[in-house]
Parts: sequence; structure tokens; C-alpha cells
Amino acid sequence: MADVTRSVSMFEQIRLVAGLRWRILANSLRKKNNRLDLIGLILTGVFASILVIGLSFAFYAGAYAFLSQGRLEWMALLFWGIFLFWQIFPVFVAGFGANFEFRTLLRFPLSLRAFYIIGLAYGFADFSALASVSWLLAMTAGATVAKPGVLPAMLLIVALFMLLNVTLERLIGSWLERLLARRRTREIFFGLFVLSMISLNFLSPLMQRYGASARPGFLRLLPYFAWFPPSLAGSALAAITRLQPARFLLNSGILVLYLVLFSALLWRRFAAQYRGEELSETEAPARAAGRPITGKDDSPDRLSLLSPPVAAIVRKEFRYLTRNGFAYLTLLMPPLLIMIFSMNFAGRHPTVGGKGVSAEMFFPGMMAYLILILMAPAYNSFAYEGRGIQTYFTAPLRFRDVFLGKNLMLVSVLSVEIALSLAMLTWRVGLPSAHMLVATCAAIIFTIVGQLTIANWSSITFPRKMEFGQMRGQRQSGMAVLVAFGSQILMGGISAVILFTGNWTGNVWLPAEAFVFLAAAAVGGYFASLDALTKLAEKKKELLIEALCR
Amino acid sequence: MPEMAIQTQKLTRRFGNLTAVDGVDLQVTAGQFFGFLGPNGAGKSTTIKILTGLLAPTSGNIELLGVDFAANPVEVKRQIGVVPEGMGLFERLTGSEYLKFVGRMYGLDRATTERRSEELLDFMQLADRPRTMIADYSHGMQKKLALAAAVIHGPRILFLDEPFEGVDALAAGALKALLARMTERGTTIFLTSHVLEIVERLCSHVAIIHKGRLVAQGSLEELRAGISGEAGSKTTLEQIFLSIVGQDGTERPQLEELSWLM
Repeated sequence: MADVTRSVSMFEQIRLVAGLRWRILANSLRKKNNRLDLIGLILTGVFASILVIGLSFAFYAGAYAFLSQGRLEWMALLFWGIFLFWQIFPVFVAGFGANFEFRTLLRFPLSLRAFYIIGLAYGFADFSALASVSWLLAMTAGATVAKPGVLPAMLLIVALFMLLNVTLERLIGSWLERLLARRRTREIFFGLFVLSMISLNFLSPLMQRYGASARPGFLRLLPYFAWFPPSLAGSALAAITRLQPARFLLNSGILVLYLVLFSALLWRRFAAQYRGEELSETEAPARAAGRPITGKDDSPDRLSLLSPPVAAIVRKEFRYLTRNGFAYLTLLMPPLLIMIFSMNFAGRHPTVGGKGVSAEMFFPGMMAYLILILMAPAYNSFAYEGRGIQTYFTAPLRFRDVFLGKNLMLVSVLSVEIALSLAMLTWRVGLPSAHMLVATCAAIIFTIVGQLTIANWSSITFPRKMEFGQMRGQRQSGMAVLVAFGSQILMGGISAVILFTGNWTGNVWLPAEAFVFLAAAAVGGYFASLDALTKLAEKKKELLIEALCR
Repeated sequence: MPEMAIQTQKLTRRFGNLTAVDGVDLQVTAGQFFGFLGPNGAGKSTTIKILTGLLAPTSGNIELLGVDFAANPVEVKRQIGVVPEGMGLFERLTGSEYLKFVGRMYGLDRATTERRSEELLDFMQLADRPRTMIADYSHGMQKKLALAAAVIHGPRILFLDEPFEGVDALAAGALKALLARMTERGTTIFLTSHVLEIVERLCSHVAIIHKGRLVAQGSLEELRAGISGEAGSKTTLEQIFLSIVGQDGTERPQLEELSWLM
């Protein structure tokens, strides 16, 4: 029989968990390819330390100034700053795929109480918590120097505020864990994150247009904020400074109530996890009661002009596009960005600069930007294939069919995007002259097809696996990025020089003629390259399979 | 003379200093249910990858159904079906979409692909979740789908790398029956598995690879006779395997070292 183990103290368990986390970090840095990560980590650490220490001085100075100048209500602003950082920063980190390995502790002999306390201790080890605690201590020091008598009350409020924040942060974290465990919600979360980042660009024009009228409405909402924990903490401190013990007790009491409520909710969440909450979305196999009516597709094949393998790959690429939340959202970006840029730099009322950029410049500029964004994934076009890449090598097809199918899908997407962006441009800025329109369209063909050849080579030479709906660890190969960057600069440079030759020579149709010639050459070069790339793919298949099947 | 389905000569694959497959000469007759065995890291998966075109050999020749693989890879691939290590599925497709994709990749017409897809999904008990993506399938369901995809074009040789791993007993029974039926109809099946009982029950012929070298090859009867010295003995495949693999001094772990656990 195995020995019966002795019980381990909670402190020992916390120490073991901290040791485990340190060991995981140290081991990950031992890998050769993680040296850059180590440098990045050191730089980030230095930057974060400067930020935390610098802001600690700011919080010290703020607390000192508000208390010594009698602006007691303003203390709530400092509590609000810390509260928002403590609660929002971890959510952003979760969006980047933070590890939630805390649940794995459940395999060990822990009581629910120990699990709960270790969970809270875990919460204090986060960067947001460490930074917030530093700032709260700096505030305490500032307040004590300004009015030494507030120290006991300040310590009580800060302790309550810390506990409340760490409990709320763990509560939000545990709910996020539950949500992000499901692929679908993870992707929606990721999509919303990207969209919210893009939407920030609208803030400036919207504030300029509606800022003044929205202000009264916002001011009417302000009193309600007094019932939130940061305002309560600020009010409690103001009350004790003004020697109003009843108000201090009321505000502190409400803070305690918040703490009790959050603790009860967190206990429920941890208890659910402790009992073995199932987060997996994998369905158990079950015998079908009967074959479902799938509706046989007797319609003519819309891709009948293509060979069956190429048509199959185009269909598969389309399905992958529609099921990749991030890729799908990037399709919304170009028209959106063109709208933002047209608001800022062009049209009748540009918000940046007095005079807007003319359609003659704006159209080719925006098209170049669009191609820059949409062509980037082509340089690692097998990123999302995963283990499916093996199918391309076991199936009876030449690899040129794979390139053709993938490139055809990309060109179709680009065509739709360009058409949408063109419509947006026409609405917002207007069309350029005929010669510029033709020259830009031919330049688009030249740059897209020219880049496709290089991108296909890059995809099989520098493959890097990517996961759907994840941001953390989703880096392209450094060489693929360099190749993409280089070829885009080359194509963009050639195009810019040719576009300007029209002005220099006085022959406005010269760029159009030159681009038509280059586009034809690029198309010829593309088809000529397919066989060579097929041979290269055969040579590189082991590298490709190894990189994508990890 | 019977038709040879798989024939290799001096098949070798090196990874730097490591020789994973070392001069392997395989001979598999058409219609055989062939088990390819070996301990962990012996070179089974590397061999199957080379035979299916996923890995290039460092040297040596491969002929499948009498056709030189290196010279005519596309023609050979039309005749074979593969369940590779890791299954090779496109996880963002549904099971039905994946089968249709594979069917078209093998050149089946649309109607045939659709009909066979539905029949295979039904047989594999995967038809009741038409909208579920493969990423959301359990491991066993993915395995069954990979097997369905490997047979959709009616291959003449089927390569299966650990096909029953993670498949429930009910489905495994149906799959074994299907595979047995396919061999009766002339399909050659080349299978690797760690479960020796499965191999013993299904396979008529077996080869054992150890440290990259082929150390035994033949029918089960021939291997039994080689070990016990008499035909028709009751030696199990496990005994044969341990006897052959243990010949070079490879020892089984000694339980005495874990006395505190007993």
C-alpha cells in the first residue's frame, strides 16, 4: 500500500504554488528560441517598474496635495484610478490568453477554504494587484505626511479597499475563465476586443462633433457614482478628516457590505470549481436517433470551372474565413479605416489639418494601405491549417493546386474589399480622375499578384502555426515578417515612382500604361512560379508539417 | 506470383545523427491485413510517414502496387488512404464538410462524394451533429472521421497509424468488421498499434521494427514457429514480440525498484 501523506499547511501550499510558477517561467526561458522573449521580459519589467514607481510618486503627491489643501472629495479620484486599473488591466491580459492554470490545483488534497484563500493570494500576485498595492501604500504615506491623524483610518480603508478589489478581480477572473473556456465565446471576446480597439479611432471625431452636447447628460450621472467603492473609500477618508465619525462608519460599512457580497459570490464560484465544474465544450459521442435531413445540394456547382481539388480548397478556405472570428473581423477593418481616415484627412470637413487631401492622392494612398493590411496574412498562408496540412501531402494533387485555391480565395476577398472601399471612398471623398483610377487599378493587380508569388514562397519557407481566437503567442515568423515588409516596400516604392512619372513627364496616361505592362508581367511570372514552388513545397514538406502539427 | 502491394528496398531515414529507419525491406502482398509493430521510438510512425508521402526517405526505394512512389507520387496517392499520426483533420470544418473536401481532393464527382459522405457519417455514428465543427469533436469522434476520410475514395491500400486509440469498444467493433471486410475484397491494410491483442486478432501478417531495423516479418504462424520451433503452437503475439525485442538485451523495468508502492 502507498503511504498515507501528512496534511500540508496552507502556507506551505502557497509557497509550493509560487515555486511552481517560478519553475515554469525559468524553464520556458531556457529554450533557445525564447531568448528574445527574455530580453522582452526584462525590458517590459524595467518599463513596468518605472511606471509603477513613477505613479507611486504621483499618488503620494496627489494624496498629500488633496489633504493638505483641503480638497478632500478629490481623494475619490485617486481611488477610482486604482480601482479601474486593478479591475480592467487583468481583463485585457485575459484577452491575450492569460494562463488560468489555477484550477489545476484542484487535483491536490485542498479544502475549499484553502482553495479560496490560495485563490485570493494568487490575486495579489498579479501585476495589476502589485502595482495597485504600491500606489495605495504611496497614497497612505502621502495622506499621513499631510495629516498624521488619519493614518489608522487610512490603513483601515486601504485594507478594506485592497480586499474588496482582489475579491472582485478574482470574481471577474473566474467568470472570464468560464467564458473563455468555450471556443465560441473566446472568439467573440477576442473580436469585441479588436473592434473596441478600432472604435477608439472614432472617439476624436465623435467628441469634436457631439462632445459639448453630451456633457450635461454625463454630469447628471455623476452623483450615482458616489455609491461605488472608490467614491465610498474617498468619502470615508474625507469624513474622518472632517471629524464626522457617523459618515465615516456609514461609508466604511457600505464598503464592508460590498466586500461581503463579492466574497459570497466568489465563494460560490470557487465552490462550483471545487465541485468539478465542467468547462469543456466537447460533445460526447451519441448514436443518432435517425439521420437528420441535411437537404441534398442538387444545385449546379458554382465552381465548376475549377478543377475539383482547387474548387475544394477554395470552399475550404471560404469556410475557414467565415469561422475565424479575427480574420472575419479584419475584413470589416479596411472600409472602417477608410471612413476614419476620410473623416480625419479628406472630405469637406477634415478634423486634422485645415485642407483635406485630394481624391487624386487619397485613392491610391488608401488602396496601398488596404493591400498592406490584407496581403500580410498571405506571407504565412498555412498558419491556420494545423494538422490538416498533412492532407495536402497525402492527397493525389500537385501543390500548385493548393496555391491556386488559396490565392484565388484571397484575390476574391481582396476584390470584395476593394469594391467596398471604393464605394466608401466615392461616398466620402469622391473618385479620382480616369487616368489615376485606371493606373491605380492596374497597380493593384501588379502589387497583389507580384506579392502572391513572393508570399507563396514565404509561406512554405517560413511557416508558423497560429491558433484561432488567440492573441498570446500568435507571432508570425520573423523572416516572414521581414519578407512581407521588404516586398511591400519594394512594390510600394515601384508603384509610387511610376505614379509620379505622370506628373514629371506631363503624360498623365503613362503610369496607367506602365502598370498594365507590369500587371501582365506579374500574372505571367505568377503562373511560371507555380511549378517551381510545387517542387520547393515537396522539399520543404517536413518543415511545413513539423511547424504546423505542433 | 501474388501482387505486391507494398515493397521497399533498403528504406532509410536519418535525422541528423539518428537513423530512425535503417535499411528496411518490407514486402506486403495485396489483400493482406498487415500489422507493423515496435516499441516506442522504434521507427513505426517514421516508416508509415515515408510510405504515405509525408516524409522523404534519405535513401531506398518504395513501390506501392508496383508503381515507383518517387517517380509517380500522384498516381500512387490516388490508390492509398491514410490515417496519419495526429489524424490530419481540418478542425474548422464540420465532419460532413471535411469528407466532401477530401472526396473532391481525390477526384470523386460531387454526387458520389455527397452520397459516400452521408453513408460514412452514418456508419461512424457521426451523422447526428451536422453543424458541429471537428474542433469540438471528442478524440474518438475525430479518429472515426479520419478513418472515414481515409476510405471515402475506396483505396487499394489503407495505412492506419494507431486507428483504434481513443475509439470506444462499440465503434471499434464496427471498424474492425469494416476493415476485415475490406481485406476480403482485396484491400491491403497496413496498421500500426500498441495493442498487440488487436493486431493478433486482425492481422494475418506482421513485421516488427526495433531501433529502426526490421527484426521480424512474416505470417503469425511463421513467427510462432520461429520462436517455439513448431508450427501451430499457442505462443501469443505478445510473447513473440517480447522475445524478439528483448533479444538485444532490452530489459523490462524491475518492479522490485518500486517496493514502497506494493
